[in-house]
Amino acid sequence: MIDARALKRRDHLIGAGLGVAYVMILVGTTADLGMSRDESFYVHAAKNYAGWVSQLFMDPALAIGRESIDRAFAYNWEHPAWMKLSFAWSWLAQKHLGLFPNESLAFRFPGMLTAGLLLWLTYAWGASVMRRQAALFAALAFALMPRVFYHSHLACFDIPIAFFVTLTAYTYWRALADRRWVPLVGLAFGLALATKHNSWILPGIFLVHFLWIRRDEARAGRLERSSIIWLPTMLVIGPLVLIGTWPWLWHDTWGRLLAYARFHLRHVHYTYEYLGVSYFQPPLPPSVPFVMTLFTVSLTVLALALLGLYYRRAELRLPWRTKLGDTTGLRTEVLWLGCMLAPLLAIALPTSPIFGGTKHWITAYPFLALFAGWGLLAAIERAELDVWIGLRWPSWAFAVLCLLPGAAATAHSHPFGLSHYMPIAGGVPGAADLGMNRQFWGFTTGSLTEWISAKLPAGGSVWICDTTNGAWAMMHRDGLIPPNIRAARSMSTADLVLVHHEPHFNEVDYQAWVAYGTVQPVFVLRYDGVPLISVYENSLRPGTGSKGLD
Amino acid sequence: MAEAGRKLSLAAWVWVLIAGLAVFELVAHPLIRAAVPSDESWEAASAFVRARYLATDRIVAAPSWADPIVRSRLGDLLSLRAAAPGDPAGIDRVWELGIRGATTRDESPALEKDFDGVRVRMWRVSSDEVLYDFVENIENAEVELAAADGPKACSWTSARPAPGGLGHGPMTPSERFICDPHRPWLWVGATVLQDLELQPRRCIWQHPAGADPVRVTFPDVPLGERLVIRGGIDYQSERQRIHSPVILRVWLDEQLIGELVHHDGDGWSGIDVDTASLDLERAQVRFETTAPDPTARLFCWSASIQSGRRPVVDAPHRLHGGGR
Repeated sequence: MIDARALKRRDHLIGAGLGVAYVMILVGTTADLGMSRDESFYVHAAKNYAGWVSQLFMDPALAIGRESIDRAFAYNWEHPAWMKLSFAWSWLAQKHLGLFPNESLAFRFPGMLTAGLLLWLTYAWGASVMRRQAALFAALAFALMPRVFYHSHLACFDIPIAFFVTLTAYTYWRALADRRWVPLVGLAFGLALATKHNSWILPGIFLVHFLWIRRDEARAGRLERSSIIWLPTMLVIGPLVLIGTWPWLWHDTWGRLLAYARFHLRHVHYTYEYLGVSYFQPPLPPSVPFVMTLFTVSLTVLALALLGLYYRRAELRLPWRTKLGDTTGLRTEVLWLGCMLAPLLAIALPTSPIFGGTKHWITAYPFLALFAGWGLLAAIERAELDVWIGLRWPSWAFAVLCLLPGAAATAHSHPFGLSHYMPIAGGVPGAADLGMNRQFWGFTTGSLTEWISAKLPAGGSVWICDTTNGAWAMMHRDGLIPPNIRAARSMSTADLVLVHHEPHFNEVDYQAWVAYGTVQPVFVLRYDGVPLISVYENSLRPGTGSKGLD
Repeated sequence: MAEAGRKLSLAAWVWVLIAGLAVFELVAHPLIRAAVPSDESWEAASAFVRARYLATDRIVAAPSWADPIVRSRLGDLLSLRAAAPGDPAGIDRVWELGIRGATTRDESPALEKDFDGVRVRMWRVSSDEVLYDFVENIENAEVELAAADGPKACSWTSARPAPGGLGHGPMTPSERFICDPHRPWLWVGATVLQDLELQPRRCIWQHPAGADPVRVTFPDVPLGERLVIRGGIDYQSERQRIHSPVILRVWLDEQLIGELVHHDGDGWSGIDVDTASLDLERAQVRFETTAPDPTARLFCWSASIQSGRRPVVDAPHRLHGGGR
């Protein structure tokens, strides 16, 4: 049943080259991004973990005791430890070896590595089933999605889970044809489980795909059937890896596993603006993941993905249309379609908690990019571009043309990735007109650091709105904010107040008006003309003229 | 052959379509950015408005998301009442600084001028005259909390304001009446509410204490044609639509003249009370809030004595509750 091309050394060189180049770009651009809200939580947890890792080397018996584990792992217990442990290792390496130019990069680097590995994997999988040109296109199309580029910088779990989900799907796909891959399915699934709960849906996707090909095989009259050995492997090795990499579960395992599951099944609802409405309780319109994908991914890539789906429609045929004697295969496109649609549909369910951000279905995008690779091939082959003039460059030129919108958008999106919208939405101002979410996590504060430093040359205090104290402290340690400019706990005692513009944050805007007696911000951070942050100055602070009118 | 030719042309058409999409995205991207008004355009438009601004003017932004930009240019001209109006009274002209063809009004403006992407428009509106604004006079009121053992006066105090933050509700001002230090939400003072539509409303915070009324009394208020009362509950509380109603009773010289019953979901709404027929020039006006259950009743109201109703061109306010 092998219908995959064996990868050659050249393929891995291309994939690795892509990955390394991407990581280098991420490293080179990370200083533009102030630490985001969620990163600061994971950094705090990683520091706790680092302390535990150090204790593990010095006194292993004490370290694995409940007291030590609870002390280190109780904070942010709602997320598994795998990536936070990798952040911790990276930070320890920074402390002892000084590998990175600043502390935030030490925490972010493991996430960047998974972004690089994901490009390699996307290329490798693509090159296993399609022309290298298309596989390369797929990997680059994924890399050049503005929100993917933003999330690839972060010490978070979203790009890592996209990598481990894709890796698990790849190992499963390989294991169907080669049993030597079976243990790797369990291992990869375990690492996915140990990264983020997006992984929970994988067995379901694989089972649908597996039943599809088994039905195929039965109707075709094949005597040799695909083995389901991958499933018990996943269900045994996966949880073992999750528990093994998450010391929090080493004590009161069942109770804590149940609490973990309950936390995410009954997750709080974020307030999320979509088409002019601030949603704060379910149901979120089912169109959200699809419209947000339309508005944040290059339209050219989306069109190519649709073309790819159409081009490969024969591989997507329903199994009961298979006839006796038909050849059967891995039905790779069925698997890709499942991996692409399941995350989108999970968010679209009316009972799903309100998340909203594209990061919650970002695991779909490597597969979207792979279908775009097929679409590129379809456009090139069916239009016989290579045949027209007997040269290969027109097809390469076409591929480059199709990547350019994503490249231009990604370049322009930095460092405002979460605020960026594609031209189909009218760009950033068009999305503001439509009432689309403008930002979250208070991530845009990083773009104000120079202004704040210049505004408070002798130091002072800033009320930092949606930015956390941990994120602010990291900006101190990274040298983005002078140490004598501290985060204030109260607007009234601060020199400056930041307001991150989201509709439900209007409340904070109005609080600043009353606190300072003025509605006039001294500065408005804008992106393509759209306000992201208003800054108010405390008119009662010595050295400032009173602007209060009321 | 014909079939092959047809397929080839279809494939070529798809190729052209995809290439066209790429070109569209590449061209649209810089065009969108080029259409963003420059700082110079905003500055010129703002200077134009500033030179003609009068105290009874209002300044708005179109689309509304541009409001922080407009306030950063002209916010020093705006009082909290002008930026967060409880009702449209007291305005003679509306200035609009608009971009991207957006506007807040359908009528033709009395004046229009374009500043390279920022369009200034002005309308003359004839709203009611405000004779007395209760919010602006809160410091002159007397506040008390009724209880079984008799009313307890709330003292006007300069105290630590709230720290601020998402979900904290309207800002506690530094100067306010404090009724019960053990119930820090039981204060009365002027603030700005985020109403159910997320709009700002300059108003008097008067959180009910329960069945025992919180009373705010304004002595010697000049009376005009009507008493216009609006009220609402903080967005974060009202949007849940699960809490008990708030009752605001209005007394004029010990006579009950109006009752506003605010239910979750009503949004910023109110009642108009005719005062012209009372044949009084001045009176004492008292506002009392109660609620069957005061939990999360972050109630805030505005009121003013108005006269000289003329056509009001501003957006109509929804009226709820029963005036007597």
